[in-house]
Amino acid sequence: MEGKKSEFIATSVPNDGQKRKLTRYYLFSPFLRIYHWIMAITITILFGTGLVITTPMSLSGEFVSYNGWFLSLGFIRYLHFLCAFILTAALGLRIYGYIINKGDRLLPHMFNTKFWDDLAEVMMHYCLIKYSHKEFLRNPMARLSYLAIYVLIIIEVFTGYAMYFQMEPNSFMATLFGWQILFDGEMLLHVIHHLAAWAIFLLAAVHIYMVIRADFMEREGEASSMFSGTKVLAEVPDDIEDITDKHGRVIKG
Amino acid sequence: MERYTSIWDMYQKKGMSRRSFIKTCTAMTAMLGLSPSMLSDVVEAAEKRLPVVIWLHGMECTGCTESFIRSASPLPTDVLINMISLEYDDTLAAAQGEPFENHLNEVVKANYGNYFLAVEGAVPTSADGGYCMIGGENFLDRLKTLAAGAKAIITYGSCSSWGGIQAARPNPTQSVEIDDIINNKPIIKVPGCPPIPEVMTGVLAYYTMFGSIPPLDSRDCPTQFFGNRIHDTCYRRAFFNAGMFANSFDDEGAKAGWCLYKLGCRGPETYSSCGSLRWWQGMSYPVQSGYPCIGCTAKNFWDNGPLYSRLPVYAGIQLGNIDKMGAFATGAMAVGITAHMATSTIQKKKRDAKERRERKEAVAKQAADNVSQEEKK
Repeated sequence: MEGKKSEFIATSVPNDGQKRKLTRYYLFSPFLRIYHWIMAITITILFGTGLVITTPMSLSGEFVSYNGWFLSLGFIRYLHFLCAFILTAALGLRIYGYIINKGDRLLPHMFNTKFWDDLAEVMMHYCLIKYSHKEFLRNPMARLSYLAIYVLIIIEVFTGYAMYFQMEPNSFMATLFGWQILFDGEMLLHVIHHLAAWAIFLLAAVHIYMVIRADFMEREGEASSMFSGTKVLAEVPDDIEDITDKHGRVIKG
Repeated sequence: MERYTSIWDMYQKKGMSRRSFIKTCTAMTAMLGLSPSMLSDVVEAAEKRLPVVIWLHGMECTGCTESFIRSASPLPTDVLINMISLEYDDTLAAAQGEPFENHLNEVVKANYGNYFLAVEGAVPTSADGGYCMIGGENFLDRLKTLAAGAKAIITYGSCSSWGGIQAARPNPTQSVEIDDIINNKPIIKVPGCPPIPEVMTGVLAYYTMFGSIPPLDSRDCPTQFFGNRIHDTCYRRAFFNAGMFANSFDDEGAKAGWCLYKLGCRGPETYSSCGSLRWWQGMSYPVQSGYPCIGCTAKNFWDNGPLYSRLPVYAGIQLGNIDKMGAFATGAMAVGITAHMATSTIQKKKRDAKERRERKEAVAKQAADNVSQEEKK
């Protein structure tokens, strides 16, 4: 469904006694949103179980399974692998959303000079040098961080499956991922898997902070956008062409 | 010494019965992991001519040979030596000096393109290979010369398969594995420090039986011996799954024989028959004797220390415990985020105040303009 920008005036909020018109822009498809929450849950579990697998609980030599079967390393590993498979399968949702919805295409415009200029501006704002930055649907730094998280997830998927499928080293899946072991042996994969996991964790921490900060600093509905799929902006954003069709009309979900 | 052309020939010349020959073949069939119906193939193969083997020693400790001569099955040692026609092995041979080297040349000439080259030890490449000299010739040249006429190469031990201890960082002699020197010959890697004796003889037995090299995995190791993780065949695996670990070498867990994972056991990353074949006729293997696996069949295991910690500390990168580093980074980040949040809030207040002031000024200016316009009228 398509329409003119003016049709999207959804609400207005009081600000310093003045009424300001706000526009609601549709950005994220349900596939992206579902994927996001699957990712949030599985990555939390994967990170927690991963830490336990590296340094298993050993209650001063006690038989841990007495305290609960869910504490046994067998179950914790099972949970880790289950979440890994769910996360990998869910990538399909993300790819489907990318295909059907223009607003889901969030990768950085690397080969555009304007992107780097905007990035500099946003960085200056986050370094507290500039008071505010231009309004974006997705600002350049956020776009870079999406790229980073996908690259990190792919690193985790590849190193993880390389190690996982080695329980049957001559199987098809082991051939598909096992080539990574040939470079420097399997221990290096464990190290890379760990480093990438911590990178994802730290990135997620910054991500949550940035969302909360944007929500109270800009009041653009950043946090709720992962439920509603829309963002509420007072001005026409700088990257509006990301959600307009070839006639310049804003795409409505 | 009497020469035998095949295993069956040896049995005949020694006056042993066909029955005991068939028994041996049955044992070998089982050892090679073949189905009982393959027995006739094994018997047929054992009646064929013995393969000629030339055994080279490069930069190594000869521990692989020590292991090899302690093999007990598939057959006792004397039969093993007769299962192959071992023509040259400078460590095991009684002969030495020039006559021995002449013998090597004769054997190579006579069997050019048909002999098997077994190699122990890495190849030092710096100083023109001068760190390892054999019979006045450096090992690098000797290996190249002999490999040219070989049918296939077996690399025994981690040195010839992966470079070995002498290739550990910073690798002063620039030692490399055989694969880096020889590219045009099939290479069977039998890694281990040393490999299990029965695995060493088993690979040769397979070739003797079938006249072809055994099926290899992506690392060129025979799948029949290197197709399983030690972790998956380990009798202590149940303790791992249950979460019962030894925390130090002298605690109750170690005494009770619990899993050595937390003591840096490399079983989950190591592929070997230790868990199923075990050592010294199935007597024991490192984990069974209470010592964590060091992963001696794995590539670069010597650089993955410390061996008693779960994750390696890479030299040069000096990572330390990644999880501790991560926790530290998280703490630092929490402080950073708090500071950033506080500053942002102050800045927002300032910004809002500034916007309010500007708006007020604009309104006042507008009002003033209106007044002046009215006055003009």
